[in-house]
Amino acid sequence: MSREKLDQIAEKEQARQSQFDKRIHCCISTACLSAGAGHTIQTLRDSVEAAPTGDEVEVVQTGCMGLCSRGPLVRVQEKSGEEVYYADVDSECAEELVAKTVSWDQAQAKQQKLSSELQTVRARLETARRKRSLKKHILSPDMPFFTKQVKVVLRDVGYVDPEKLEDYLAHGGYEALHKVLTEMSPEQVCDEMLNSGLRGRGGAGFPTGLKWNFVRREQSDVKYVVVNGDEGDPGAYMDRTVMEDNPHQVLEGMMIAAYAVGANHGYFYIRAEYPIAIDRIRGAIRAARRHGILGKSVLGTDFSYNADVRIGAGAFVCGEETALIHSIEGKRGVPRMRPPYPSTSGLWGKPTVINNVETFASVPAIIKEGADWYAQIGTEKSKGTKVFALAGQLTNTGLIEVPMGITLKEIVYEIGGDVPGDAEFKAAQTGGPSGGCIPNTHMDTPVDYESLQELGSIMGSGGLVIIDSTTSMPEFARFFMDFCVDESCGKCVPCRVGTVQIRTLLDKIIEGRGEPEDLDKLEALCQLVRSTSLCGLGQSAPNPVLSTLRFFRHEYEALIPTNA
Amino acid sequence: MITLSIDTKTIQVAPDTNVLKAALDNGIHIPHLCYHPDLSISGGCRLCLVEVEGQDQPVLSCGLTAAEGMVIQTQSEQLTELRRGVLDLFISDHPLDCVVCDKAGSCTLQEYAYEYGLKETSYEPTVSSALFQDDNPFFLRDHQYCILCGRCVRVCDEIVGVHAIDFANRGFETNIATPYDGPMIDSTCVFCGNCVQVCPTAALMPVSRLQRGREWDLDRTLSVCGYCGVGCQIEYATKDNAIIYAQAPEHGAANGTFLCTKGRYGWDFATSPERLKQPMLRRDVAHKLGLTEEPWELPETSPLDIRNPNVEQYFVPVDWDTALEFVSSRLSEITESHGPDSIMGLASARCTNEDNYLFQKFMRAVIGTNNIDHCARL
Repeated sequence: MSREKLDQIAEKEQARQSQFDKRIHCCISTACLSAGAGHTIQTLRDSVEAAPTGDEVEVVQTGCMGLCSRGPLVRVQEKSGEEVYYADVDSECAEELVAKTVSWDQAQAKQQKLSSELQTVRARLETARRKRSLKKHILSPDMPFFTKQVKVVLRDVGYVDPEKLEDYLAHGGYEALHKVLTEMSPEQVCDEMLNSGLRGRGGAGFPTGLKWNFVRREQSDVKYVVVNGDEGDPGAYMDRTVMEDNPHQVLEGMMIAAYAVGANHGYFYIRAEYPIAIDRIRGAIRAARRHGILGKSVLGTDFSYNADVRIGAGAFVCGEETALIHSIEGKRGVPRMRPPYPSTSGLWGKPTVINNVETFASVPAIIKEGADWYAQIGTEKSKGTKVFALAGQLTNTGLIEVPMGITLKEIVYEIGGDVPGDAEFKAAQTGGPSGGCIPNTHMDTPVDYESLQELGSIMGSGGLVIIDSTTSMPEFARFFMDFCVDESCGKCVPCRVGTVQIRTLLDKIIEGRGEPEDLDKLEALCQLVRSTSLCGLGQSAPNPVLSTLRFFRHEYEALIPTNA
Repeated sequence: MITLSIDTKTIQVAPDTNVLKAALDNGIHIPHLCYHPDLSISGGCRLCLVEVEGQDQPVLSCGLTAAEGMVIQTQSEQLTELRRGVLDLFISDHPLDCVVCDKAGSCTLQEYAYEYGLKETSYEPTVSSALFQDDNPFFLRDHQYCILCGRCVRVCDEIVGVHAIDFANRGFETNIATPYDGPMIDSTCVFCGNCVQVCPTAALMPVSRLQRGREWDLDRTLSVCGYCGVGCQIEYATKDNAIIYAQAPEHGAANGTFLCTKGRYGWDFATSPERLKQPMLRRDVAHKLGLTEEPWELPETSPLDIRNPNVEQYFVPVDWDTALEFVSSRLSEITESHGPDSIMGLASARCTNEDNYLFQKFMRAVIGTNNIDHCARL
């Protein structure tokens, strides 16, 4: 389909949306759904239908609005652009919300006959009009949780209906793809990425433009693009959210990468535990194919591209790129040695770009707004924004997007609203089982790739767990070591046996059977596993232990019985 | 050719050679357990670490392609420390019962533990799998000795092309298994035993070897397999004139380091009391030729009863000249009296191509018939 036809669809959708005075956005992402958003959106829809004047209001299913701990979240958007957020919206609250949103203006009353069920809803609405409990659900737009965030990846997440291509187009979707296909050479696209300073959001932080350039320069009749959606860090759900809530954004980023490197086929590798993400990505692929965005002649140009979904089988290690490739190929998901890197020999031995979901999701905005615009966000070496899944002992937990270089202090005290109760903020854990713990004494550390590494942690894919003073750090480290023991693929001995032995030592120490030399032994073993393991999983598996040993050694020492 | 330096020795290797191979081929030993020169690279054992000039961290030599001017160190304090640490982890998951182990003396893990002075593990000994499988007459699978180097999996897939076994489960629970861990006989296994040959420990052992002596008790005889015309080199390990097991020698010209099931396990005929070692003539024929005094008549039932081959009752041993003389005279007689087409020749797969060629030539040119066939067609 040509660009003009897509523009027409976009304009039609914009016109349709502008008919409504108010639009009620209801989050239907996994976190809110599990908090009951399914009932909430049904009540919203029924209530709007039953209300005497519901025509001026549209109920829209959208993605994540961020404050997942207060879900289901609902946002009322006025025509003027003014927005009000409502938290913990159960069915009762949803009725009151609709009752207070519709105008009740008799002059505009709908001419309709209500079914008996809707008559009951109408009656409830009449009662809800008089209630006064809605106020406590309102979230102030001045909350630092909202104001401190800078949204690039999540810009349209929470506004766009993830199951509606028209809505994505109405928000400027596929404009970036059209721009690169018609105005830019593949080399220019790679350079643009390089200039933007975008680095891999999977955790390692390799410059995206550099990676794309490697693949672009490879001579090969077939090349592939793979989206790594095998997000596995405990508590992290950035990629799930983007895939669930704006699947077309990821697809568009992937297609831009494909054009830049000369690939005509690609795969989404999504873990099986993300059924909604799988459904929505598949839905997006089908819709894009129907509209000529995917297929032989993308947007009417010579470029052809097809994408498909492959589902993971439950192994954390398949997030490692070489294991992921094996898994797509139908082999056992174990990593292999690099080089050769996937950029020279990847999927089925062909040059392959593998990037994280968030990396691809950053691409359309960079193309549209320009590399310079993106590069002005963040720090000197870490550009742009980073999405974090803020979890743990905090008042506000959920999904946040912050500029690189923001301090931990700002995240914990301002965005996160501090640790609840009497406890105090003790440490922040980044990077999941591969990361480390940063103590509160370092809370002025800017969050960027280099600073976190200096502290023995990593940026990781975006898991950020806040620990308060009631948590035992050795036990916290053991939790992650348990995870690594379970998730080690078993290929190399340091990871297969080393993680088990680290856990045995931790058990010994935590159970009070430790001997004074055990701490040095533990540290030496961690160093051995780190320096001799085959892949990133094994190399970083000791990080939670090493970083807690570094900053909280006294907690370990306190567990060792002194020789009386 | 590429020139590099390993431990100050200047070495020339072909392009795309890995550093481990370059070192081993030039008499420099770097410890390794998962690497095998005929198999793909795994990189799982983490022992073949070396130091490369200009690189901060030690790298695995099996996965490192030799490059012009590369300077490699295979021994250093740091490398010893790392290898020792890795071996320590290996032996924490391996029974240290070398005193009663049949593999002692040819076990690579034992050799390295000795080399690096590891008497015992410094960790909590935890053996991951105690599975013992003796479901076939050829080899045992004793998983407690398995170090998961994966050589057996790769040889089965890459050399034999059968892929009867692979890794199952994951992490510490990983083990080598047939599909759904069914009996070996139900898998695609052809019992060639190449997995047993490449196994560095006692995880895969020939049944015939158990409790029959250790490496240093065994004599070794290099021979050529007689089963077919390929001419595989075969090494018989014997003790007191009895074969204990057979395996391929290190570098057989025809077979490299591999054998098929016949050569490896089909050697019990060698010491069988039923084995024919010289030509024999039927007693009645021998009597007619004046070789025996007693007359003898062919009984009604065939003397070639395979269940009761009472050879000596029916046959008399003769020398080769007598036997060949008799065969040649009978062939001439039959050709003259009944014509050459009354004779048929059946060649054997155990002969070489050259022998088979000569045989058909003999049948066609000397006897004068095209009645020639081969057992492989049966």
